[in-house]
Amino acid sequence: MRGAKSAKWVVGAIVVALAATACGGGNDNKGSDAKGGGVFRMGITEPTAIDPVNAQESEGMVIARALFTQLYDVSVDGKLIPKLAESGTSADGKTWIFKIKSGTKFTNGEVVDAEAFIRGWTRVAAKASASDVSYHMAGIKGYDALKGGKSDKFAGLSAPDANTLKVELDKADFEFDKKTAHAAFSPVPKVAGAGDNKKFNDAPIGNGAFKMKGSWNHNQSISLVRNDDYGLEKAKLDGVEFKILNPANGSQLEYTGFQSGEFDYARMPTPQLPVAKAKFEPQGEWYSADFSGINYLVVFNQNAPFNNPDARKAISYAIDREAIAKSVFQGMQKPATAFLPPSFSAEYQAGVCSTCVKQDKAKAKEFAAKGGLKPGTVVNFGYNTGAGHEEWVQAVAQQLKDVLGVEVKLDGKPFKEALATQQEKKTSGLWRSAWTADYPTADNFLAPLLSTAGIGEDPATGKAQGDNRSRYSNPKFDELLDQARQEKDAAKRAELYKQAEKLAIDTDQAVVPLWQRTQYRLVNTKKFDGIKMDFFEDPTLAEISLKK
Amino acid sequence: MGRYVIRRLGQMIVVLFGATVVLFCTLFILPGDPVGSLGGDKARDPAVVAELRERYGLNDPLPVQYGNFVKNLAQGDLGEDFTQRRPVTEILQPKLVNTAKLAIAAIIIDIVIGVLAGLIAALFRYSFWDVLITLLTTFAVGFPSFVIGMVLQKFFVVDLGLFPLISDGTLNSMILPAFTLAILDAALVARLMRGTMLEVLRADYVKTAVAKGLPRRTVLLKHVMRNSIIPVVTYLGISFGTLLGGALITEAIFNWDGIGLALVQAVQQQNNPIIIGVVTFGVAVFVLLNLIVDLLYAVLDPRIRLA
Repeated sequence: MRGAKSAKWVVGAIVVALAATACGGGNDNKGSDAKGGGVFRMGITEPTAIDPVNAQESEGMVIARALFTQLYDVSVDGKLIPKLAESGTSADGKTWIFKIKSGTKFTNGEVVDAEAFIRGWTRVAAKASASDVSYHMAGIKGYDALKGGKSDKFAGLSAPDANTLKVELDKADFEFDKKTAHAAFSPVPKVAGAGDNKKFNDAPIGNGAFKMKGSWNHNQSISLVRNDDYGLEKAKLDGVEFKILNPANGSQLEYTGFQSGEFDYARMPTPQLPVAKAKFEPQGEWYSADFSGINYLVVFNQNAPFNNPDARKAISYAIDREAIAKSVFQGMQKPATAFLPPSFSAEYQAGVCSTCVKQDKAKAKEFAAKGGLKPGTVVNFGYNTGAGHEEWVQAVAQQLKDVLGVEVKLDGKPFKEALATQQEKKTSGLWRSAWTADYPTADNFLAPLLSTAGIGEDPATGKAQGDNRSRYSNPKFDELLDQARQEKDAAKRAELYKQAEKLAIDTDQAVVPLWQRTQYRLVNTKKFDGIKMDFFEDPTLAEISLKK
Repeated sequence: MGRYVIRRLGQMIVVLFGATVVLFCTLFILPGDPVGSLGGDKARDPAVVAELRERYGLNDPLPVQYGNFVKNLAQGDLGEDFTQRRPVTEILQPKLVNTAKLAIAAIIIDIVIGVLAGLIAALFRYSFWDVLITLLTTFAVGFPSFVIGMVLQKFFVVDLGLFPLISDGTLNSMILPAFTLAILDAALVARLMRGTMLEVLRADYVKTAVAKGLPRRTVLLKHVMRNSIIPVVTYLGISFGTLLGGALITEAIFNWDGIGLALVQAVQQQNNPIIIGVVTFGVAVFVLLNLIVDLLYAVLDPRIRLA
């Protein structure tokens, strides 16, 4: 079949596109007729869901967050911005009281009160919803009973009065309020019904700055219009038009569409970033921002050859991050010298990973000798194929070969197969990985990726069901996290997280940090003001306005 | 003839059965849990994995899963996909319509341009037009379709702004993808047509017809065309079947929401219900088209008897 002619062609197509589009000059942003507040047009790939019950990736989130307003929003540098919460307080970290702004409504006229929040959260955690985002609520009392189908009430949630939401947690967590900025913590109206209400899934009725215009036109488009009855500061745009693009060629289509004037906001294929930057930066249409994420290597801590910290340090010392950032990434990636991202200003410690700061061949060899990583040792190096990792993975592998003399066996696998291999108990070597924050807390990096609980080993199969696939486990580290969560004082808490990071990353080298997360976009500043990106890597739609 | 058709349709059921059994077994032995993860590097909540495995009967042994599939298929139900949890028929229906639209447009372009060009080249052999057509078809065959597609897009969409970049299903937005898709086949049809026509023109029965003093038009239409079109029909039949299987590259370049991309994506995500749906449909269409082509032979050449 023609369809089976391998995805290589698509990759080839993108390369050719580079040549094809680089040689033309014409760039006039025609735009749609500019009356009123204007319509902001952008491309996305088909989301899994736009209903907060299961909205998960950035594409679904941008719509869910435009349709629904939560207690808080988060700025790109991780600061909480109160939205419906007038206050959120907790004396012991276990019981949280949120005062909710009164008098705001859903677009169908229903009132947004504490009950609406309880309804929304319960709907996400209910068994039948099988929601992929419900685990963010796992710390709330009664979650397991609800998720397991033993109850249909969320025991930890109550409403002492119409505008007060009381949340009881199993364990103290002084940063719980930051979690509630996630779209899963949206209020929903009564008409939402159960999580699998298809009509609501495709045309959610929310309390956000925008509302749906018609229903989700699957694989074609989603249209939003301004919610003129919005209870907070109203949006300025008349609407937002999302065209749904295919993932095989999405960023190329966005880039071409920006140049043909069909999009006001666009991603670009990675190989074309330098050309696009040269062309659009002088026109003020180039946007870049650092986000709360990390690209790193999982190092399987419990199996030879990396079952000792020295061998792991040898790997980290042997990698020349600067060189790869310059060559493979053409200067569009920044080397990481810490595991936590710089956006977490309270906890960020530049250079905490002392092996990451600079390639050091002598030290790499010294640690390899100490750690028993002899030349000729076979090192498995896994990655998922079809996501553009091939080139840099090969560059890293070559550096390891050159510096340490190890025999690197590259193992590219399709996504689900790759995951299954990483989860197996017997897997050894290295694996490429990346993480982006769900909410702006250091805990959201350190706990799932490095704590013993984050391994989530299935007793029956030995599979690591959690995200800590390195299987790093240090009781001292777990203890520090526990202390941090129970620490009410923000400065002291940050100090504890810093200690924890230093222990896991510098002393134990549980994983090998590689690059920070930086994103680039083209934005139509000729037509719009105030285009910025939020913590979730989406444009702040409610703040964009048509240029006067 | 009627019995022949019935027998062929019976064979089709056997082919469908075989294809789906092979597909089921293949998908079953693939490593990795089809509902075991999300799209990124993050693990999926084990409670969700358990719930979905239960809901979609993934814990059942293979024969039971296959039995359920056949039972549901008989009622026109292909199940729910694993990602969006929408009915597969609902997801695939617009994609099939889109793919069919594009395939029909492409095949029409193939017939009109290909047959006409082949005809001209054969009738005016070694003339300027023949050389030009030979040259153009060489180019068309030589260029990969993604190059053609991207160049067309760059020129007509970005520079001239004649067509929308993101297709919306209208005729206007169909022109570029249909041309991109048709160009290779049109060139091949032209060459095939030219070759067979030159052969037929030298055949004894054509000489006889000319000697009898039949008008040139009658000779060409009744004797030459009818006899030279058979290989072209065979080729177009197979080609149409392939087109209905989706056109990955063209769909990707022009964001045409067809089943080619859907299949590739489903394979990457191990979204088995979609894979099974597309392949089942594809096999059925292919077998049906072959039958139609065989029936057309009989119409075109009375010597061919179907039994």
